Amino acid sequence: MSQRKLNIGFTLFMLLLFILVAQLSPKSALILGLGTGLGFVMQKSRFCFTSAVRDPLLVGMTHLTQALILLIALSIAGFTLIVWVGEARGISYSLNVFPLGVHTLVGGVLFGIGMVLAGGCASGVLMRIGEGFGMQMLALGGLLIGALLGKLTVAHWRFVFGEWPGIFLPDKLGWFGTLILEFGALFGLWMLARWWQRKQVGE
Amino acid sequence: MARFQLDIWGEMCPIPLLKAQKKLKGMNIGDILVLETEHSCTSRAIVVWAKDRAYEITEQEVANGIWHLELTKTHD
Amino acid sequence: MAKISSVFWRGPWPYWVGAIVLAVLNILVLIVRQQPWGVSSNLEAWSEWMGGKIGLISTRNISGLMLLQSSGTYLNLGVILGAFWSTLAASQARFRPIRHRKFVVSALAGGVLMGYGARIAYGCNIGGLLNGIASSSLTGWIFAAAVIIGAWIGSKLLVKYLL
Repeated sequence: MSQRKLNIGFTLFMLLLFILVAQLSPKSALILGLGTGLGFVMQKSRFCFTSAVRDPLLVGMTHLTQALILLIALSIAGFTLIVWVGEARGISYSLNVFPLGVHTLVGGVLFGIGMVLAGGCASGVLMRIGEGFGMQMLALGGLLIGALLGKLTVAHWRFVFGEWPGIFLPDKLGWFGTLILEFGALFGLWMLARWWQRKQVGE
Repeated sequence: MARFQLDIWGEMCPIPLLKAQKKLKGMNIGDILVLETEHSCTSRAIVVWAKDRAYEITEQEVANGIWHLELTKTHD
Repeated sequence: MAKISSVFWRGPWPYWVGAIVLAVLNILVLIVRQQPWGVSSNLEAWSEWMGGKIGLISTRNISGLMLLQSSGTYLNLGVILGAFWSTLAASQARFRPIRHRKFVVSALAGGVLMGYGARIAYGCNIGGLLNGIASSSLTGWIFAAAVIIGAWIGSKLLVKYLL
């Protein structure tokens, strides 16, 4: 019961789609390729951001948490390097330095609750749709409704509680200080996760 | 040497693992817990969890995208 | 070699391998897009467009063409297609329907909470947590703490109502 024939067909479809998008815009095609890679790798390694933050406390497992910390650490290093090189060459990147407010905290908590109930965060929902889960297809519908509601009310949150501009840590601490602080914090979290894992297994 | 079936069919992560943890507590040493899931992450999570605790576990893909797990409670 | 190829196509890859490859792809996205990988802001644009189409809201300036030119659309589409491809290549593809009624409620409620939370906080796990922190933004760390608290509350709800 191999799905090899279907796979050949789908591979051809992906190739055609890629060529079609490349005709419209080479950059979009490149992005599509990277997106495909991200989905492929997430599925293959069963990477799950939800599991990484949920499972340490719920089931006492921190393998994915440690993997997420590694992913964050490598991304910090990569982003820093890219921004440095970009500065030297006059390329600017718009990084995700978002404004900070009460709604950051409220939104984070609601997001955390939602992803546990829906069985995947935003990227996890997309990945599981690819895997064929009906539940996450429904969750995507909910996600779209919720996003629209958020879009319509975020101005209200800003108006009632105010908002502070996002803090780009290197502006305050310098690049060196920022890297030390961030890697230090991640290392601390990693040690904590490892200790927690051993404690759970030891019991 | 009893065999226990646990119905986790269609359950979302991490409910199967939580149910299995609970079920295992009531089992004797040497008993086998049989699980079947179509959820790739669930199957993986149970295997990783069992290996952490040094339980014997076998994972077999019995049909396209369906995994059959047999966990032996080798110790308390 | 045969064993490596089998693990490559069938998986599962070790979590740390996934983390390294995802980090490389994440960095490549930043280089190509000049902006980090994100999921939810593009979903918001789609929902705004759909809302406008069915007359729920009056959209100001989101057109279908804009969505087709937006890099976020291609990232999200790519994640779905890539995951499907990965499943198919391992001969593990199948439709997995909802088998319990409780999950209809939890998927919808969870989805709405998640969508709302992500948009008032300007980011999801990817754009807000992973790439917020990777961008050395203080907001990313604070969002991460909030998500952990939320996941803990969510776990309590899950154990109480879904188990």
